[in-house]
Amino acid sequence: MDVKNEVLYRVYFLLFGMVIPAAIILIYRTIDIAVIDGERWRAEGQNSYVREREIEAERGNILAADGSLLATSVPFFDIYFDPYAATEEDFQKNVDSLAYCMATYVDRSFTVGGMRQFLAELRDTNINRNRHILIKKQATYTEKKRIEQFPLFNLGKYKGGLIAEKRSERKRPFGLLARRTVGYVRADAQPIGLEGYYDDVLGGQPGKEFMVCVDRKHDLWVPTEDLTSIEPKSGDDIVTTIDVNIQDITENALLRALQYHNADWGTAVVMEVKTGAIRAIANLGKNEEGWFETYNYAVGYATEPGSTFKLASMMALLEDNMINLEDSVSIEHGVTQYYEDILEDSSPESKELDTITVRKAFEMSSNVGVSKMVTQAYGERNALNNNEGAARYIAHMKEFNLHLPTGIDIEGEASPYIKEAYSEKDSWSGTTLPWMSIGYESRITPLQLLTFYNAVANNGEMMKPMLVEEIRRFGHTQQAFKPTVIKRRIASKRTIQKAKELLEGVVARGTAYKLATDQYRFAGKTGTAQLNYRRRKGGANTIGGYQASFVGYFPAEAPMYSCIVMINRPRQHGIYGSDVAGPVFREIADKCFYSIIELHDPLNNGPRPVLAGANLPGGHAGNSKEMLHVLNFLELPYFGSADGEMAVIMAQSDSLIIDNRRLPEDKVPSVIGMGLRDALYALENRGLRVRISGVGKVVTQSIMPGTRARGQTVSIRLN
Amino acid sequence: MSTFAARIYAELRGDRTIWAIIAVMAIFSLLAVYSSTGMLAYRERGGNTEAFLLKHGLVLVVGLFLTYVAHLMHYMRYSRWAPALITIAVPLLIYTVAFGPNINEARRWILLPFVGLTIQTSDFAKLALIIYVARAISTKQEYIKDFNSAFLPIIVPVLLICGLIAPSDLSTAGVLFTACLGMMFVGRVALKYIILLIMLGVVVFAMLFLMGSFFPDFIRSTTWTTRIQEFLSNPDGVYQVQQAKIAIANGGWLGEGPGNSIQRNFLPSSYSDFIYAIICEEYGVLGGALLISLYTLLFFRVTRLVTKSPKAFGAMLAMGLSILIVLQAFINIAVAVHLVPVTGITLPFISMGGTSIIFTCISLGIILSVSKYIETVSPVPVEEE
Repeated sequence: MDVKNEVLYRVYFLLFGMVIPAAIILIYRTIDIAVIDGERWRAEGQNSYVREREIEAERGNILAADGSLLATSVPFFDIYFDPYAATEEDFQKNVDSLAYCMATYVDRSFTVGGMRQFLAELRDTNINRNRHILIKKQATYTEKKRIEQFPLFNLGKYKGGLIAEKRSERKRPFGLLARRTVGYVRADAQPIGLEGYYDDVLGGQPGKEFMVCVDRKHDLWVPTEDLTSIEPKSGDDIVTTIDVNIQDITENALLRALQYHNADWGTAVVMEVKTGAIRAIANLGKNEEGWFETYNYAVGYATEPGSTFKLASMMALLEDNMINLEDSVSIEHGVTQYYEDILEDSSPESKELDTITVRKAFEMSSNVGVSKMVTQAYGERNALNNNEGAARYIAHMKEFNLHLPTGIDIEGEASPYIKEAYSEKDSWSGTTLPWMSIGYESRITPLQLLTFYNAVANNGEMMKPMLVEEIRRFGHTQQAFKPTVIKRRIASKRTIQKAKELLEGVVARGTAYKLATDQYRFAGKTGTAQLNYRRRKGGANTIGGYQASFVGYFPAEAPMYSCIVMINRPRQHGIYGSDVAGPVFREIADKCFYSIIELHDPLNNGPRPVLAGANLPGGHAGNSKEMLHVLNFLELPYFGSADGEMAVIMAQSDSLIIDNRRLPEDKVPSVIGMGLRDALYALENRGLRVRISGVGKVVTQSIMPGTRARGQTVSIRLN
Repeated sequence: MSTFAARIYAELRGDRTIWAIIAVMAIFSLLAVYSSTGMLAYRERGGNTEAFLLKHGLVLVVGLFLTYVAHLMHYMRYSRWAPALITIAVPLLIYTVAFGPNINEARRWILLPFVGLTIQTSDFAKLALIIYVARAISTKQEYIKDFNSAFLPIIVPVLLICGLIAPSDLSTAGVLFTACLGMMFVGRVALKYIILLIMLGVVVFAMLFLMGSFFPDFIRSTTWTTRIQEFLSNPDGVYQVQQAKIAIANGGWLGEGPGNSIQRNFLPSSYSDFIYAIICEEYGVLGGALLISLYTLLFFRVTRLVTKSPKAFGAMLAMGLSILIVLQAFINIAVAVHLVPVTGITLPFISMGGTSIIFTCISLGIILSVSKYIETVSPVPVEEE
């Protein structure tokens, strides 16, 4: 083979045997990926360029009646670090000071050196490839601001690698206070309370934002500004009727009672009589560690009410003119029998008594007395009850609205249960009526019962319980809720009057006489319901504990608040409503009574006190306009005038004299007697420096008045 | 043709097809780099993409100027410079391996004093070695099949240079070694020696690999193993390769159009190692095939030179340089289409990167110089020197 041909063969081998086949393979492979397998790869890419993300709207606040925050959303930030964002130069320049800041302010478990090594290792691809390193969870806004100022991080997101992801957390500044009523909305639970009921209002409208993937490997997304996004509309605030002070009183009183009696749970609700506004609502349930707001018993839990229900029975009888309060009724020494079932009074006092007045029967809460009156009136169909029998009694219960939920604006109200007369479905029996009349075989929530009592206190006008007064947006009222009347009149004026008398009697002479106070009068009814009461044939009834309650209103003459207290299964120190629930009612009523200004006569209603020199404020110096304002506001007579900048007040026997206090422009003034603000004004206006100690009014100054002012430092002491 | 274009056309000697290839590639390079540096610009220059365009454009202008200068010179000059160039290259490489700044865990660069630029010394060494080998092969044509007098003097510098590059940049060393093998193959070196060399290459690689586990600072054997393992274990390719595939798939036949790449945001090194994928995304299979064809055409034009003067130094030189360029290009593209593991070899003349472009331009200039003088002389083999 000659030289030339050998070279040529070899070159052609390279060209045709290697380069061109290689080129063909590469082109084919490109076509393979782009076209043959293209669909799959395009799909792979498609699902992750742009993603629509919902931006949580800022949730509205829940406020107490006075504007205190019951629930509010506080933003916090999860802070991440992309260690590969910074250039090598920037990183090396800043890593030392960054390590110092991180070890000092963020993670004290590291030494500065340790932190530096940690940060350096984050950038070592052999050790870490993650570009989304969590450095601080749940940082507050202030903490986030500070971390953003750290060296390297202050270069910004792209050059410094700091990523702050905003979240928000619901906070209750008052902690447990009304926690259950305030409620919550959580992803994994049934929404409850106001948060649940007003979720639409509070929640606002979530916005939309387009995120673009910047690093698919680590699933990093950044929001884009240039794609259309929808701003979230923040939620409105709701102003509740809750009075933080009354709520606090209520919750504390209830808690102490639960602890004292070691009860299962308890609830207490305070309602404003005229409006139905709920001023306090406390629910405490027992768990291993104590009593907490775990369930909204007041709203969500219907139970057999017990003796507190007797008021309804009495009112039904009064409405039909079946009884007079002074009529006699035989209580048969506290034991009677309906068919095969024995019904007893719980009070030992009954054993001694046979015939008593209707009033007395109610006041001492005689089961026998009340049930007998009701069965006599409605037990059979006769002319007196219009041939309706028990149906007439049930009709009255419905007139009192005891069969309907109150419709309170909170999630999860339980419905009451009142049997239909003679209904088989409700398993009506011969014993239903007597037991119903004393508060069994029906179920009703504490709030529903309170609403009924409140209607009595409110002269028969039934108000809908109200928890929200207003919906506000940026401090402006969007919607104001007016008190709602459920029923203009639940019973005749006369009946209401008698009912009130009965309730006052309970406190004055009856089961609650121990609770009475001479400071003010209140009215109410005790209740001691037997839980899981099983009637057995031939005696021996079983009782699974008691439920003590007290419901009433105060002051008796002009009711302002109604209140119910219910304590379930007290285990020690008594079981009766008057012993367990009553004292809580009294404590709430006391504190409300004393703290509500409207309920008291002003102390200074008497004649104006005579001014005497000794009591007059003398020797005060200060801004003349402000001094005059104070004097005028207090309507204190004074002489003299002050038209200058500073003034001084002097007390003389029984009058005040005000005069200008002239301070020479270029000399150190006397500031003795001035407040700090005025003293600083006077001194610093003359170019002096001031060093301060103490609080109060100026008592000494280090430079004599009248000295030429040349920017010296004056020390003043206040006392 | 306007007079200005005519003037330029008249200036450009040598193979005008190669000039055309250079022109088209330069346009490709500008467009692709401008498009793919968006993300980099955003992160490092606050969104100033023009900064990278200007820098890259400047490099291209300097490179093309050097091409022009290089093609003006008679290629025989390079032959004379060969020993000197090799003498400079060896200590330079040693210095780089020992003292060069560690960038991305590899010592491949040195900082030029006064100028403040970093250069990749291997680019210079590549050129030096190719010139040297071309010269050696052409001078030893008479006794080329001999081992002691021909093969050894050729192979010793090759092994030396490749051995110095290999620890920090195995793929470049491999490409250079392969290019030298190609030259020797064309230059009629005995096939048995070439096969011997291939086996030697395998042995050297294995040795480097072993040494790497003892001196991880100098030899990046862990990187090599991870890359190979990733290639073998991952049927869809590693993250970058998957992103590159998405880019190619997005392009389809005709591409999304200039500047419309989406994948540039997700593809690391989209402006260098994976620029082929971006070109495919914007110009489709058509663009990619055109690019591959341009490299193939370049090689074809050079083989024409060899057929005209098979034994000449010039032909050998052009052959070596074109093998080097085409080999790098094909390996780069093969990485992007997931035929070989990720290597870190850039696409010659297209990828952003100062040193690489400058030396590729000089190489093209030399090829043009060869073509210019071979075209003008008779196709009869001429003994040089």
